[in-house]
Amino acid sequence: MRTFRTMLKNEMKLSIRDMNMIIFAICIPLAVLIILGIIYGNKPAYEGAEYTFLEQSFGALTTISICAGGVMGLPLVISDYRNRKILKHFKVTPVSPAMILAVQVVIYTIYSVVSLILLYVVSVIFFGFHLNGSIPVFLGGYLLVMLSIFSIGMMIGGIAPNSQTASVIASLLYFPMLIFSGATLPYEVMPNALQKIADILPLTQGIKLLKAAALGLPLDNVFVPIAVMAVLAAVCIGVSIRFFKWE
Amino acid sequence: MNEIISVKQFSKSYGGLTAVQDLDLSVMQGTVFGLLGENGAGKSTTIECILGTRIPDTGTISIMGMNPFQQRKQLFENVGVQFQEANYQDKVTVSELCEVTQSLYKKAADYRELLKQFGISEKAKSTVKELSGGQRQKLFIVLALIPQPKVVFLDELTTGLDAKARREVWKILSNLKEKGLTIFLTSHFMDEVEALCDTICILKKGKTVFYGTVKEAVESSPYKNFEDAYLWYSDEETSENENV
Repeated sequence: MRTFRTMLKNEMKLSIRDMNMIIFAICIPLAVLIILGIIYGNKPAYEGAEYTFLEQSFGALTTISICAGGVMGLPLVISDYRNRKILKHFKVTPVSPAMILAVQVVIYTIYSVVSLILLYVVSVIFFGFHLNGSIPVFLGGYLLVMLSIFSIGMMIGGIAPNSQTASVIASLLYFPMLIFSGATLPYEVMPNALQKIADILPLTQGIKLLKAAALGLPLDNVFVPIAVMAVLAAVCIGVSIRFFKWE
Repeated sequence: MNEIISVKQFSKSYGGLTAVQDLDLSVMQGTVFGLLGENGAGKSTTIECILGTRIPDTGTISIMGMNPFQQRKQLFENVGVQFQEANYQDKVTVSELCEVTQSLYKKAADYRELLKQFGISEKAKSTVKELSGGQRQKLFIVLALIPQPKVVFLDELTTGLDAKARREVWKILSNLKEKGLTIFLTSHFMDEVEALCDTICILKKGKTVFYGTVKEAVESSPYKNFEDAYLWYSDEETSENENV
């Protein structure tokens, strides 16, 4: 536990000094929220809808920081440590790969949770937001999205041969997910064909789950996305630890 | 005396190129072992295979009777390592790096004490990047000593240090040796090897060309001083050696 606490404290300091995650995981989601809030205000999501546009988008906005941390931050920091031979040095100490990965996962969890809280507070205070659904269901969905996205990041970070590869894979996953899953561009305003493509992204499934939870809509077809994301997480985490590359 | 490091019939090649061939070595507790040779002679490959960061092709290797692959966690509680290449995060400070290193071990030394001993305690708040080459080298030796190891591996021990600093480091290491620490080092400075090493092994193109004490190395060469003898052993011309 002492190892974990010390590593977490130091890695968190380094991450904050780096500023990237402050921008991508904390500031960007807030900026998108404020822009959407100013443009759409308290307008209903569509003609005759019982909830506002912002209420509909809230779930999606909360996943921006999960993506930034899980798909960009996590794999890049680990592959950078591999490049710099920091992992090689860890290999000749008693520390385990699971510990190294866990420290980073907790760091990006902290960013995500801070972002979630900030988004919630700002939307409630400035844009009259109200979470219609059940808070436990929303948080459960949020945790599941975090688990599946972070596990993808762990896998890329754990086994990518070098920073360049990790960075390419991360970008290939990050930008389409960010743009097409409804995290920034609302799913509802996309043309039908684009929606179909977006549907195959794991994040899109997660956002649907969060949206239903936030709006208190019936959760009929959620079993499939839950199962898919849980299996994905288990496989990715298993692979990242079993095939962890120190060098 | 206990055998701390044992290497038997170890070979390693990279894509057909032999890096190390049929190496045998044995390091006893409380002694200093020097692995010498030109760049590319196979020193780093040997260290990395002993530590398990590379996989040997053939041969058996053990440290304190443990296999560096299968008993990694247990073994590295008692082993300190300083690699040739620097490895630290971009903006990390000296004290942060020491603190994390300290937290990895069950019974670590107080790093502040070690920094003081090596004369770099006033640099604790600086980033590692800001240190001079010599200060950084000292820091890496400190990091290798933080676990209070039974055996320490120092690759290119005092590269980048000035004459005075090198003497200071020798003195600290000699004191630790007195207390039973086993030291495995590589170095390009023959005065250092003479001052510290009980046993040396000179590698040339991956093969052992001399194994024994510094005194023996000089005696079985045509030269009077060790540096000349070393150059003679590690020299390119093999035919010359065979004539003697």
